[in-house]
Amino acid sequence: MSVLQGKRKRQELASALSASLSNEERAVYNIIREKKEMGIWKGDIKREIKIPESLLNKAVKLLLSKALIKEVVNVQNKSKKVLIAAEFEPSKEITGGEWYTEGKLDTQFIEALSEVCLKLILRQKVATRQGILDWTIQSGVFPGGVTAGQVEQILKVLVMENKVQEVNSTGFGDFASVPVGEVCYRLTKKAGGNVKVGAMASIPCGVCPRINFCTPNGVISPTICQYYNKWLDF
Amino acid sequence: MVTQYGIKFAVHLITNHFGNLVAKVCENLFTHGPLTLDQLIRYTELTKEQVKNSLLVLVQHNCAQAFVSAPEDEDDDVGRLRVRTEYLALFDNIIHRLRFPKFLEIVSRKLDEECVELLDGLLRDGRLTLKQMVDRASQGKENAVATKAVRDMLCKLLTARFVERCPAPEPVVSTSFKEETTTRKRGAKSAKIFEAPETLEQRVLDAAVPGDGIRFSLTADTGCNVDGETNSDDAQMVNVEENVEKEEQILWRANFEEFIRHLRHKVLIENVRTQHDDGTATVLSAVLEATRTVEKKVKMDNSVPLSLDTIITEVMKTDTGRTMTIDRIRASLGQLGCSQRMIVDDLYSIDLKKIIERARNEEVESVVLKRYGRDAYRMFRLLSKDSCFHDTDQIAASTLVEKKEAPKLLFKLWKDNYLYMEKVGLTGAKLSTILMWKVNKPLLWEYVLDEMHHAALNLSLRMAFEQEKDEELLNVPKDKLKEPGPLQKKYKRLLNVWLLLGSSLMKLDDALMLFHDF
Repeated sequence: MSVLQGKRKRQELASALSASLSNEERAVYNIIREKKEMGIWKGDIKREIKIPESLLNKAVKLLLSKALIKEVVNVQNKSKKVLIAAEFEPSKEITGGEWYTEGKLDTQFIEALSEVCLKLILRQKVATRQGILDWTIQSGVFPGGVTAGQVEQILKVLVMENKVQEVNSTGFGDFASVPVGEVCYRLTKKAGGNVKVGAMASIPCGVCPRINFCTPNGVISPTICQYYNKWLDF
Repeated sequence: MVTQYGIKFAVHLITNHFGNLVAKVCENLFTHGPLTLDQLIRYTELTKEQVKNSLLVLVQHNCAQAFVSAPEDEDDDVGRLRVRTEYLALFDNIIHRLRFPKFLEIVSRKLDEECVELLDGLLRDGRLTLKQMVDRASQGKENAVATKAVRDMLCKLLTARFVERCPAPEPVVSTSFKEETTTRKRGAKSAKIFEAPETLEQRVLDAAVPGDGIRFSLTADTGCNVDGETNSDDAQMVNVEENVEKEEQILWRANFEEFIRHLRHKVLIENVRTQHDDGTATVLSAVLEATRTVEKKVKMDNSVPLSLDTIITEVMKTDTGRTMTIDRIRASLGQLGCSQRMIVDDLYSIDLKKIIERARNEEVESVVLKRYGRDAYRMFRLLSKDSCFHDTDQIAASTLVEKKEAPKLLFKLWKDNYLYMEKVGLTGAKLSTILMWKVNKPLLWEYVLDEMHHAALNLSLRMAFEQEKDEELLNVPKDKLKEPGPLQKKYKRLLNVWLLLGSSLMKLDDALMLFHDF
């Protein structure tokens, strides 16, 4: 069954089921359907159609039991679950997108995919996005599958973390297997663990949260600074 | 750019090297801008003699430059008669005093030990004549050092441009700043290009600097290797004697510009080595070495254009470049950003400004990572690379930072001046405000530079404090310090503290140069 066919079938079922609803229940259901992918919070339904809370709760419970609507965690506000008609997929604004599960960032999946990318690049010295995607699909390491977009995003994040460098292949040396000019990725020297710490970050002042209050003879000064005392504690 | 803590740090260096009186004069020059002797006496509340001596010290050590302001109106004869000598503090030269050991190290790698000693004398005494150099070299020796030997050392230093003639003592400088725009014709079209206005300090220094023909020349007329050949022509003999006399009166000083150029080249090469590989670093090194003497200024945005043939020749002269193929060299030039569109008239030019900017970004990012954590680091790097506004949600989505955490971190970065923020109001069904974030690099770098000067001052103050705290250890005989016990422990701690603080200051100084001089 195609996606469109599935959606039509759900809509037909919804029409049949909604025929058996009371006026209040139908009003609640209609307002939820109107909001389509964005859905609506229970408190906002109460404000819009001015329905007593007890009736509203009863209507929502019934609609959920009949699978006419579903509850989705709102990534912007986890305490305010959003009600969406069953035939709609919640928008990215509500769910947070493909990296969010139950309103929370799926850090485990992100870390796992990052690790795989880094290991592949380390093994091959230089890797392309397509090469990494092909490997993850072939290996089956992620049962739920991985999209090209996800691999691309993870690589971008690794570039932002300065673990990976995006370069154009020169065709020489490590780049020999990649056509000249093609975008590929390699580890930065920093990814090896020997991260070069900058000059400011190496001293207490560089990371001090009070530097704006520090003066040569003030209450906070280098001669009585606790961070300096700790740093020079030989 | 001279920042608030930059001035404090400069004044601190002057205090350490020359004392409080000289520092007071220097501080007033920074606070009020160029001043006459009378104005300085008034502001400092010191005696005329004290101010004069302080100025002499500052000028002797190239930390101040005198100049005469030209009357604004060219027809102002009265103004022309009222000659006012003003004094300008030279911030850069004061901060250079911190890096004299680095300058000496450059000379020790390129030239011989005698040249290093000669330069050391110039750095310690500020400026010397040839005769003073000879006297200095002869100190503590049984026989006086021959003038010719010292002259040869001076010649080597001049050829390498590590030493230069001292500037004019009181050049006349116009101090009026009319709005100027530069027009440059490009074919049939002309476009007005904005150039940052010249500062008074730049004008004074440009007016004072000797012309190219004599700046690195031992004599005005005949160049470095003048040899006074004896002959029967009396007029020529007299000329030679006059030249020798003139030579002995010329004052020489270290050419800070050349040392900063060397240090900049070193940083460019090392950054390329880290980002790319040794081969690409070799190519850049060869290009910079070949064009060192023709660079018009230190802060060159692009390397002086060279043909591929010249680059290949220069690379193959080097030990590491000898085995590089032409294709490899071409590939390295590609990695350095020399794509086909940047090659003009078959000449290759490397974007040096980009390498410096990258190094600056890394320095700032390092602070962000340590101070605010990984999530903030990613967001900052995204904004730093894109150089445009992004809204909060966009940033969170691109960097995979939890949507609820992103605004908190962005606010922290904004509060501490690492980010620039603007509110955009949206009108529609619901009134809402979107926050837009951006890294404003010029503002940020000025702020970071000030923080670095502050940190440098703190390191220096702490060093002085630690030394003062354990001053008595310096008077204890070395034998006693070798005996195990609390005294030895204290001494070892002091040595470790000095080493750590000293090396941290030198490393921080590299960052100061990166943001201010390169």
